[in-house]
Amino acid sequence: MKALWNRLSVGGRLCLAVIAAYFLCAAWGGARSLRARLADETPAYNVVNVSARYQPPSATHWMGTDNLGRDVSARLVQGAWISFQVGIGTSLIAIPLGVLLGLLGGYFGGKTDSLVVWLCATVASMPGLLFILAISLIAGKGILGILLGIGLTTWVGVCRTIRAEVMKHRDRAYVQAARVLGYSHLRIMFRHILPNVAHLILIQFSIRFPGSVATEVFISFLGIGVQGEPSWGVMIGNARMRLWQGVWWEMTFVTLAIFVLVLVFNHLADELRDILDPALRNERN
Amino acid sequence: MNGETENAREVLFQVKDLHVTYRRPGQKAVEAVRGVSFDLHAGETLGIVGESGSGKSTIAKTLMLLQPSSGGEILFRGTNIASFTSAARRQYRRDVQMVFQDAVGSLNPRMTIRQALEEVRASQPEPGPGAEELLDRVGLSKAVLDQYPRELSGGQCQRASFARALAVNPQVLVADEPVSALDVSVQARILNLMRDLRRELGLAILLIAHDLSVVRNVCDRVCVMHRGLFEDVGPAEDVFDHPRSDYTKNLLAAVPDVRRSLAARKQP
Repeated sequence: MKALWNRLSVGGRLCLAVIAAYFLCAAWGGARSLRARLADETPAYNVVNVSARYQPPSATHWMGTDNLGRDVSARLVQGAWISFQVGIGTSLIAIPLGVLLGLLGGYFGGKTDSLVVWLCATVASMPGLLFILAISLIAGKGILGILLGIGLTTWVGVCRTIRAEVMKHRDRAYVQAARVLGYSHLRIMFRHILPNVAHLILIQFSIRFPGSVATEVFISFLGIGVQGEPSWGVMIGNARMRLWQGVWWEMTFVTLAIFVLVLVFNHLADELRDILDPALRNERN
Repeated sequence: MNGETENAREVLFQVKDLHVTYRRPGQKAVEAVRGVSFDLHAGETLGIVGESGSGKSTIAKTLMLLQPSSGGEILFRGTNIASFTSAARRQYRRDVQMVFQDAVGSLNPRMTIRQALEEVRASQPEPGPGAEELLDRVGLSKAVLDQYPRELSGGQCQRASFARALAVNPQVLVADEPVSALDVSVQARILNLMRDLRRELGLAILLIAHDLSVVRNVCDRVCVMHRGLFEDVGPAEDVFDHPRSDYTKNLLAAVPDVRRSLAARKQP
């Protein structure tokens, strides 16, 4: 990890710093709303003050207030918390699933591989949004439906990447040597091959995180996502109403927050891929 | 060497009319080995030489159960290796080990030499020799224990692979082109190592190589392989000094001889 930090460019380190700042904000917002909920108070992002509707940014409300007089900055922070939950939560579903299936298919080949490829093709052929809709009908609207919906559709990319890399490693001499030594298939897959393809997991995470965040925003904007909490998508949906009357602040700050988060993550993903992908590694050194 | 002592030795491998065919969906089947028979006795070094694609590595893979045969049989101490129970197969993995051509690549890049050796030890029912003893046996210093394969030279990696193979106390070592990726001075040292191992541990070695001088220096008996068949089989000196088949004669004639070419150059 330390070696990785040393190989990051200044831009990459800056991206990491920005992500860390986001994370701290999100964790702070999450902790605050959790405390409020435990104390049976209204969390800061939901404090309604009808007499202070649509106030532009000021010293008391840094980012202004919305249609019910709620503080936009508090809602933005809560939205960041939701985004991180989505980004990490969907990865926790998609990455283990994709890695496991990719390992099985790539290592065993044959019928196992056919099944994995078939699963990938089937899931990939379903329109993701419809799938997420269907899942949120079953799991109920809210964050759980989103996590399952995004998680269960996006493992395909992870699986394909891992599978292709495992297929390359399967015929390497060190895997053959492990087989000759009589190690079990599980041991060869998880102790020998997995550490050699693990860098792909980090790359995949950094690619998938902003994707999931953007998808969640979109779903919540449509109204089938997070309920009762200010997801960034919900906020955009809200801000849209009075934008034409010059209420610019809610829309601006939310889109800016999304834009910066997705931008730094994508940049970091690019850089990680350049550093960790062995095919490109030789060219760099 | 001489026939009498050889007959007295235990026969470890009996390979009878072995056929191996590679089948890939959508591709023509390739018959890499087309009926090959040989025996391997305890403590002897048997060489298989041949050009690339002659099927010699396929024999090694089939012996190691990495590739199924399509005909004939391989008996190890009288039992067909294709019909092993899982317990017998586990024992077989302890009796027969392999070293590969790609010395650096045959070690897991994410494991230090110590981890690789300790892993073998942990996988055995009764722990064999320790990592340091194994390294000592193959002539490596303890300094390499905590190094990764990429930090070592090709020769050091090949010694480490020998150490790993020896960690299970095998009786047979299948060496698939163990020196062809190494430079000449290192080659000689690895070949000496093999000779020592054979003498000290009584290992039977199946040496697969394309370099005639390598085989000639180390092996008791030699099989010359061409297009999936053995062209010549016999004691090393016999095969090299009195080749019977045309292919072996051509192969020997193709070896550049420095003295002969120098002599030829002196003449105007």
